[in-house]
Amino acid sequence: MATAIEPTGASRPAEQAGLWSDAWARLRANRIAMVGLAFIALLILIAIFGPWLTPYDFLTQNLDARNLPPSMSHWLGTDELGRDVASRVIYGTRTAFLVAIVVTAISVVIGSTLGAIAGYFGGRADAVIMWFTDVFMSVPNLLLVIVINTSLKPPLGRWMDAMYLWSGNTLFRNTVLVDFIMVFGTISLVMWPPYARTVRAQILSVRSQPYVLAARSLGLPSRQIILRYLIPNSIGPLVVAVSAGLGGAMVLESAFSFLGVGVQPPTPSWGLMISDGLRTWQQYPHLLAAPAIALAIASVAFSFIGDGLNDALNPKGAK
Amino acid sequence: MVDRSTESGGISRRDVLRGGAGVLVSMTAFGLLSGKAAAQETTFKIIHPSFDMNWSPMRGGGAALRWHSLWWASPMYFDEWGEVQPYVFTSWTPSDDWTVWIFKIDPNAVFSDGSPITPADVKGSWEVGAMPLTASQRVPLVLAGVVGYDEIAAGTATELPGVVIVDGQTIEVTLKEPDPIFHMRIANHLVPIVKISQARAEDGNQAPDWYTPEMGVVSSGPFKLVEMNLDDGFVAWEPNENFFGSKPKLTRIELRVIEDSVTATALLKEGEYHAHTALVTPTIVEDLGPEFSMGTEIPNGQHFYFNAKTPPFDDINVRKALVLAVDRAEMMRASFPNGPHKQAEQILVGVDGVDPDWEPYPYDPEEARRLLAESTYGSPDRLPRIIFAGVIAPAEQAAAQFVVEQWRQNLGITAVELKPTLDNFAPADVHVIRDDAGSRVPDATEFLRTIIHSTSRVAREKMNGYSNPEVDRLLDEAAPLPIDDPRRNELAQQAQRVFREDYQLIPWYIEAMSRWALPNIMGMEKNLDWQVVAPWNIEIT
Amino acid sequence: MLTYALKRLLLWIPSVVLVLLAVYALAFYGAGDPIKLIFLREPGGVAFDPVRIEAIREAAGLNRPFIVQFGNYIWNVLHGDFGNSLTSGRSVGRTIAAAAPVSIQLGLLAIVLTAIVAIPLGVIAALRQNTALDYAILGSALFLWAIPAYVAGPILMVLLIIILPGGSVPYGWGGLFDIRVILPLLVLSFHPIALIVRQTRSAVIEVLSEDFVRTAKAKGLPARKIVTRHILRPILTPVLTQLGLIMITLVNGAVFVELVFGLPGLGRLAIQALLNSDYPIILAVTLIASVLVMISNLLIDLAYPLLDPRAAERR
Repeated sequence: MATAIEPTGASRPAEQAGLWSDAWARLRANRIAMVGLAFIALLILIAIFGPWLTPYDFLTQNLDARNLPPSMSHWLGTDELGRDVASRVIYGTRTAFLVAIVVTAISVVIGSTLGAIAGYFGGRADAVIMWFTDVFMSVPNLLLVIVINTSLKPPLGRWMDAMYLWSGNTLFRNTVLVDFIMVFGTISLVMWPPYARTVRAQILSVRSQPYVLAARSLGLPSRQIILRYLIPNSIGPLVVAVSAGLGGAMVLESAFSFLGVGVQPPTPSWGLMISDGLRTWQQYPHLLAAPAIALAIASVAFSFIGDGLNDALNPKGAK
Repeated sequence: MVDRSTESGGISRRDVLRGGAGVLVSMTAFGLLSGKAAAQETTFKIIHPSFDMNWSPMRGGGAALRWHSLWWASPMYFDEWGEVQPYVFTSWTPSDDWTVWIFKIDPNAVFSDGSPITPADVKGSWEVGAMPLTASQRVPLVLAGVVGYDEIAAGTATELPGVVIVDGQTIEVTLKEPDPIFHMRIANHLVPIVKISQARAEDGNQAPDWYTPEMGVVSSGPFKLVEMNLDDGFVAWEPNENFFGSKPKLTRIELRVIEDSVTATALLKEGEYHAHTALVTPTIVEDLGPEFSMGTEIPNGQHFYFNAKTPPFDDINVRKALVLAVDRAEMMRASFPNGPHKQAEQILVGVDGVDPDWEPYPYDPEEARRLLAESTYGSPDRLPRIIFAGVIAPAEQAAAQFVVEQWRQNLGITAVELKPTLDNFAPADVHVIRDDAGSRVPDATEFLRTIIHSTSRVAREKMNGYSNPEVDRLLDEAAPLPIDDPRRNELAQQAQRVFREDYQLIPWYIEAMSRWALPNIMGMEKNLDWQVVAPWNIEIT
Repeated sequence: MLTYALKRLLLWIPSVVLVLLAVYALAFYGAGDPIKLIFLREPGGVAFDPVRIEAIREAAGLNRPFIVQFGNYIWNVLHGDFGNSLTSGRSVGRTIAAAAPVSIQLGLLAIVLTAIVAIPLGVIAALRQNTALDYAILGSALFLWAIPAYVAGPILMVLLIIILPGGSVPYGWGGLFDIRVILPLLVLSFHPIALIVRQTRSAVIEVLSEDFVRTAKAKGLPARKIVTRHILRPILTPVLTQLGLIMITLVNGAVFVELVFGLPGLGRLAIQALLNSDYPIILAVTLIASVLVMISNLLIDLAYPLLDPRAAERR
């Protein structure tokens, strides 16, 4: 019996690998998805190498060069304080990707852990976790984030001040860090429930597969079963969810910054730049267009990739 | 046509007839076309920037206060040149020692329901205004010196024994201490005269919602309230046919709340609306022309105040460094590149006692760096986080971001947090706060007493308990002196110079009391009370 | 089905209490002192007089333990008393009652508009897959998807101000049948429409490739009949599941739309309350918004079996 099970288990990863290369082939054939991927790759390159792409600092003001239209020296013009818009958009790309990646990482970890526990153990654990997930999904995320932000940020700031006075470590004095901690924390908090649902649904369907039942009857510890069979099998739908989630986190970040509860000025963020640009877009449309187009490209590209991955990983569109 | 036919005597009867017919025809045609437009055009439309839920005239603050002169008559008022003019009160006479003032009420003064404004209404209004549950932030500026005010404000009395009804038209006010400028204190809309039988409840407090049309509010100004839907952000007034002053020229005033300054600007540009309560954008002159925001200088400025007691601002070298590191001329360019405001150097402005020999804070990055190194912190790396609050309007954001950038470049300070409001409303949590410094009385001593005296609201709340005994002493010495005594202004100037050495603020701009109205609106001149001086003269041309 | 609905409603009560508890705790431990907030705005000096503040706190019962105050709050809410706003002093219940209809009417209208516009467009795009029409529809949907409401709103507003003749610019709220509703409604529907067009399109394409449709096609049934008989029902199910997401999109969108177009709804109220730390209002708005989302989820669950008999059996 034991020998009969082992090969089946061992062949799983190989099958997985085949599945992935098939999926990649299908994805490559999907032109729209590849366009999306190309744009995202480009934005990531900009985010990484941005500082070497532009001769200007994103903070330096030049009041003699305010609101300039795009030109050779300032590719995207300058803003109302004479700062180079291209540099700010590039650094805004950094902000956007940093937020998207960190937030997605945190929420995938929280969501898939809770989803896996719920799906694998079922029963009361499932009921409680799913109830919790439903509660989170029923609170409008914008309200939730703003409530948390307005009520927790001041105490966090005070705590950091106290830590700074106590330790003298300048890390605790860093205002940008406080902003990012709040943004990461709050957006993750509203982003995890979909991951929990996806993973749970997938695990429920895999849990009753013969090879899992067999492994269980052999007394394999739960942890191993989860790690070896359940998680690898849930990755497909999770990847689809992640590509949608990255775009979603980016859009949320800019919405919060727009409302003034996200990243604070003068740190560049597309949402902040849009909110500044909207004030004068009739006179200086480039101030609004640059960040808005960057945000639009990123959000559309991620949804292209999401659709492509969905088609590639669920060829028959299994629902 | 009419002119020609009357001037030239030698024209034939036929010509006159033809001419007359022409005039008649053209007048009818023109009348049909423009008559309708003219009727529409006498509705004056205002954009208001916030959903104010409290329009009580007793509130003494908020954006709604800026339209009080439309519907309330004040005891007296300042014209745009800063001279006191009679209104409900026709005369004011102090005793020789300035402790007792006699005021005469205009016998024609009536409320919008036709009933006369009586001394009892005046006394009652001041009492309601001083009650702790209705009192506004600015009531003490008006009434704090009246005998019995402290008891009402503390909640132990409901009457002002210092205000006595002498006869049907005379009222006598007794002050605790001599005050040569008491008549100026009441010449504004901070504590207006209301119909007391309507506004005051049994317990002496303000009756709930008495100022709404639903409760049949009776007012006293040239216009009366006809509609008020605060959830929808809409208020309308129509002429008060019983108004005791000049007949108003407008037939209707409509106020709508539009929070977004871009939409508001576009609507004003298109002529959809005629005026704005307070539009503060860096591009206001480019957007709406210089006439829109023109205005006289008033005793009001905008500054960035420092918290006097919280580290690192308790160290004078830090404060000095932060002031000297900012190029304030450039800050004006960042915030109001084309006006309408002017750069501020000292607090005193728009009053007689402006210091002619004032030495402005210089822009000296070198010295600033040296001072920071000399401070107990030694270097920017060891300064705690700085919180910078009160930054809301676009121009304020531009100025604040400019200051932060100057500190970064000149001093290497990076840990600054910008905030729209005060958290917890505790001044101790904030290091720098933007606020105005203004006076409703055009007098240097009074102006400084409301800003830098240790008992003033600004010193306590914006500078977290700033107190300099020398400043207090000089101002206290100046207060009882008559206005025409030159020593009064000298002492005030001296106090301001002492204050200068404490480096408690970064001066920003001197406020022009902008009309915030399109060029075709006449009669929009405003005074130091932020009111339209003569709302009955507002006219759309 | 009635028992199912009742069971769901019972489960829903602890959810609402949990949400309120969380917001209440945030307000209690994180936010500013409500008494200071009240008095900072009205009478002079009190906010900076610690002795009087303390006396008022004591009188208002704000020194009691957290759980007692929270219990008291829930008790009051059960009796329909949401307390008074800290900033305006007005009854929160009355404020909400004035604002909620605006947002709810607008939201419902946006859902109707979305259904009317998006589902047919999605079906057409799928039936004409990979044609110019398909690309046009999909492209427009993507365009709408990519513009945040806070960009579309102000731009459309200002363009309208410039284009329209004087005196006819729509601004504010005049009810559902007022011309002023059009622009906010459009902006609010952009995202849901984009979402549903794409959802419907891929659902139809999927169904078209299934065997029974191919059989029907082979039998020579006209496309229109296939669509109405075989396709519409299966695609409504995934579209319906998106309604929950759409509700959230609508609540989020309402915040921006109401700010830009000056509508006196819940979204604007919430943002104002949040900026002023006016927690009685925040709590009430959170409550209302959560209830709306939960009711829509419940309706979706109840509608499921009607569309997909198999789902009913599974329960």
